[in-house]
Amino acid sequence: MKPPTEIETAETVENPVVGIDQTAGNFSYKVDYAFDAGTGLNEDTVRYISTVKKEAPWILEFRLKALKTFFEKPMPTHWATKDLENINFDKIRYYLSQGQKPKRTWDEVPDDIKKTFERLGIPEQERKFLAGVEAQFDSEAAYSNIKDIVAKQGVIFVNSTEGLREHPEIFKKFFGKVIPTGDNKFSALNSAVFSGGSFIYVPPGVKVAQPLQAYFRINAENFGQFERTLIIADEGSEVVYMEGCTAPKFTTSTLHSAVVELVALKGAKIQYITVQNWANNVFNLVTKRGVAHENAEIKWIDCNIGSRLTMKYPGVVLKGEGARGEVLSIALANDGQHQDTGAKMIHAANNTTSNIIAKSISVGQGRSTYRGVVHIPKHLKGCKNNTECDALLINSNSRTDTYPAITVRGDRNATQHEASVSKVSEDMIFYMQQRGLTEAQAMSLAVNGFINDLARQFPMEYSVELKRLIDLEMEGSVG
Amino acid sequence: MSKLEINDLRISIGEKPIVKGLNLTIKQGEVHAIMGPNGTGKSTLAKAIAGHPDYTITGGDVLLDGKSILTMAPDERARAGLFLAFQYPSEIPGVSIANFLRAAVQARMTEGEELDASGYYKRLYSKMDLLKIDRKFTSRSVNEGFSGGEKKRCEILQMAMLEPKIAVMDETDSGLDIDALRIVADGVNTLRSGPLGIMLITHYQRLLDYIVPDFVHVMYDGRIVKSGDKTLALELEAKGYDWVKQELVAANA
Amino acid sequence: MSSVSTTSITGSFTREVFNAHLERVKHLPAWWLDRKRAAYERFVALPMPKRTNEGWRFSNLSTLTLDGFRLEPTIPNVLSAPPLSNVAAASLTFVNNALAVRTATAADILSQHGIVFDNLQTALLQHGDLIKAHLLAQPSKLGSDKFAALHEAFLEDGAFVYVPKGIEASLPVSVFHHASGPGSAVFPHTLVIAESNSKITVADFFRSKKGEDAHFACGGNDLYAGHGAQVTYVAMQDWSRESLSFQFNAIVARRDAKVLSLNLHAGARQARHESFSQLQAPGAHSEMLALTVAQGTQEFDQRTLQIHQAPNTSSNLLYKNALLDQAKTIFSGLIVVDPDAQKTDAYQSNRNLMLSDEAEANSLPGLEIRANDVRCTHGATSARIDAEQEFYLKARGISATQAQELLVFGFFEEVLGKIENEQLHDQLTTIIRAKFKQ
Repeated sequence: MKPPTEIETAETVENPVVGIDQTAGNFSYKVDYAFDAGTGLNEDTVRYISTVKKEAPWILEFRLKALKTFFEKPMPTHWATKDLENINFDKIRYYLSQGQKPKRTWDEVPDDIKKTFERLGIPEQERKFLAGVEAQFDSEAAYSNIKDIVAKQGVIFVNSTEGLREHPEIFKKFFGKVIPTGDNKFSALNSAVFSGGSFIYVPPGVKVAQPLQAYFRINAENFGQFERTLIIADEGSEVVYMEGCTAPKFTTSTLHSAVVELVALKGAKIQYITVQNWANNVFNLVTKRGVAHENAEIKWIDCNIGSRLTMKYPGVVLKGEGARGEVLSIALANDGQHQDTGAKMIHAANNTTSNIIAKSISVGQGRSTYRGVVHIPKHLKGCKNNTECDALLINSNSRTDTYPAITVRGDRNATQHEASVSKVSEDMIFYMQQRGLTEAQAMSLAVNGFINDLARQFPMEYSVELKRLIDLEMEGSVG
Repeated sequence: MSKLEINDLRISIGEKPIVKGLNLTIKQGEVHAIMGPNGTGKSTLAKAIAGHPDYTITGGDVLLDGKSILTMAPDERARAGLFLAFQYPSEIPGVSIANFLRAAVQARMTEGEELDASGYYKRLYSKMDLLKIDRKFTSRSVNEGFSGGEKKRCEILQMAMLEPKIAVMDETDSGLDIDALRIVADGVNTLRSGPLGIMLITHYQRLLDYIVPDFVHVMYDGRIVKSGDKTLALELEAKGYDWVKQELVAANA
Repeated sequence: MSSVSTTSITGSFTREVFNAHLERVKHLPAWWLDRKRAAYERFVALPMPKRTNEGWRFSNLSTLTLDGFRLEPTIPNVLSAPPLSNVAAASLTFVNNALAVRTATAADILSQHGIVFDNLQTALLQHGDLIKAHLLAQPSKLGSDKFAALHEAFLEDGAFVYVPKGIEASLPVSVFHHASGPGSAVFPHTLVIAESNSKITVADFFRSKKGEDAHFACGGNDLYAGHGAQVTYVAMQDWSRESLSFQFNAIVARRDAKVLSLNLHAGARQARHESFSQLQAPGAHSEMLALTVAQGTQEFDQRTLQIHQAPNTSSNLLYKNALLDQAKTIFSGLIVVDPDAQKTDAYQSNRNLMLSDEAEANSLPGLEIRANDVRCTHGATSARIDAEQEFYLKARGISATQAQELLVFGFFEEVLGKIENEQLHDQLTTIIRAKFKQ
């Protein structure tokens, strides 16, 4: 398996977010990779990955079984978009690892990229990292810092490779249990070739004060395309985890298929925040699920702005009495994008509550889809669900679909689902214009107002960047 | 001294002519009341001057400080110093009054100039106190869930914060009880002392007891048919709009 | 669960049975017979629904069997008077697919104004062109293609209502479909064509002979409302508790037309109802209402589609289900707004009242919106009776079952209240009340 000198970019589309044409020759990586599994997927690929990582035999077995399942399962195009058929599994590289720093200078980075970072307010150091000029942006330092602080509390915060190696007893107990390999075709794929992602364990009663960020932990395995994250919050503990960033992520791969498993034991609280802004050629197919035990709480805060196609339905299995699950989702779909997101709430104990708030914005020819499942089975009592999904259509050719499915059994549970579709009213825009705001400024205020309730739940730095990012996306859509 | 000149203005909604040749000049410091029966074009006039897309100007001109505003976008007209207090103010969910007004104030500043946050809030609170609007309203979404009176007071608050040259007030008194009316009128009267010209559109004479006009104009069938001072309003109140119609008919006979 | 073969299934509706049916209707126009033959071929070729069919999600497919039915030729000689016969302008009664009784309260008042209210077989011969244009003219979009084809193939007779331009019928017309005999299969159809600015109310009853066991009903109904027409259609399904029922409603509303359709579901062990509204021209409005009382182990499967094809159209769907015992309901409703249908107002609401510990309600409200200047909302709620309200009634001395009935009627009133015709309203109430006595 020869390391390449240039990265293959699959057919790419102009990225309207930053106006960057990734097919343009002046922006390509010239990197020497230490490890490269080549293109295409077969048993050898999987063995290569396992060998490079020096994994225990049980993990290799797990991977090989998963590979088999992946090949057996059909594409779910009977309900999902047919665009999935455009994924060419043979052309994808399943494992790449950098051994050396990339050879480019800040001068070589196109001006519009530099401008985007500026407008998004991305700090100086991060910019260089994101533009591929540096292998990390001080993440090691920031990461070590956090590690020290939380290590004192007994918190484990490492990448999944290390987690598997150093803490197999904890890992094995929960790994693959929340999301079994055969859950869907893409969880099977991930289970075969996973690499990167976080492993976090919070001991009983520990409340982690600072949010843990994936950012800090990114090291040699950049742009983890098959990340596998497992977070375990032991009884009474609390942790907030953030992944992604508002800056557009240029990836070497067109397929990003992650699996995130969360376990909140009795009385524990996990908050998982994602801001996704993959470049417009990426298929982002993610399986995320949490299990909440007695009186535990799992909250997914999900923001999807990038990618060509995102399919992601964060879910919570409310396993213990009094458990609580929440999904807050913001999706923005622009030209050439399809955000197919939603939530799954499975009630499996009495007095559990679930809450879903999904807001989507479709701009230009963007398409946003909401899919939800709420399931409350027989003989449960005191369960409640509340779902609200609202879609805002900006242009006349924008599109939105909503497909929730709610099943309730018994007379001691209650569900409520409301959905609405609207556009920004002309009267509202005129009212704001009369106060001196340009049409674009008015539109921006209106759109931010639409998602305000949700945006407020993001940590401060994110919500500011989020607002700027949405403004950027909206530019040119008005007038 | 700023002035708004309306010269032989003609406005249509689609194919239908509503305003059929209106002439009026409003100078800073003057309050002009426009009265008339329903459907005579008062609101049309107000919204069209502000640049609402539903209305088509088919003739005439509107000049602010000698410059025609008809080719300007609504926000340009606003930044040039024109303010419209809406009859039915829009709700803007998720956008707080504080943020909205800050954006509007910022829009009038020159590029690069930063808004002094503490100064802004000081001003905002003092105006809110004046208009008896609870300071907590700053974090509420603009007009969302507001009563009629609260909405109108919010309009006046905006007017106070944005310091326009000419304000067009479209039936500000509609839906207000006597207490709300008094508060709104007090707010407007304090602004009167500054360099502000007001076009006060009203159906009822009652508001004019509180905001005493310098000039009263009666609009009928898309034109101003009679002008006078504040006593004209009282005469109208006593005799009703039919009196004006009859006078017109007699004049044209 | 019985195995479902991937090849076609005809059950009791074999080619021999079909040919026998064709013999009976051979006097009807050739074009119609050709259509029926083509429909039968489609029926044979199409497979039974599978678990992976989105249009059958949550349905119980193992009990969907076409075996054990027959086309019963005999007509019982004594029938009770059809419902509403004392207030309807006219009514038609069909028993086992054949026209049995025709009554008119006000003799000839209908034909005086040019209104045609006749059985389909007569109409096929006299108004062939009209029927050709509208009978089963709309596509089957909700998943029951196979059964829609079965209906067309075996449709023997039904009601035809035609109202000319500008005529407003002050009295309703009623149709009564009756099934009798063990395993009897009926294929009712009501076709309503309302020309511009006309007005008509049509009531459809479906009933099995009392005390009888399993019947098979596969009925269709086409409503066409021309420019400015107003059509009210009320259907009451009260087949025997062992029956299997399919019902397909297709509604077309032209410019400024207003259609109100209300379906009451009470009978059958398993009933599938599909209702499809097309808002084709500006000003069109379709009000889609349904009330269901699900008891025992009944399963009511309701699938709807509101398609907005022109600007300034509106639709409003309100489906209310009361669930008792171990009953199950499925509601799947989709609102589709085409790119040109700006200024559409479309609403959809599914409310489920859970009255027992083991009942199951499934809701799949859906939206596919392609125009942006629209107002579309959908909502689905499932809850039990308000405890406070229940206590209040009991505190006034009302028994628990009585209180439940009162509150259920309160729950249904939002829909019942939309029926202006008092007698119709009463008829609906009677059927609902009878279910609670069971």
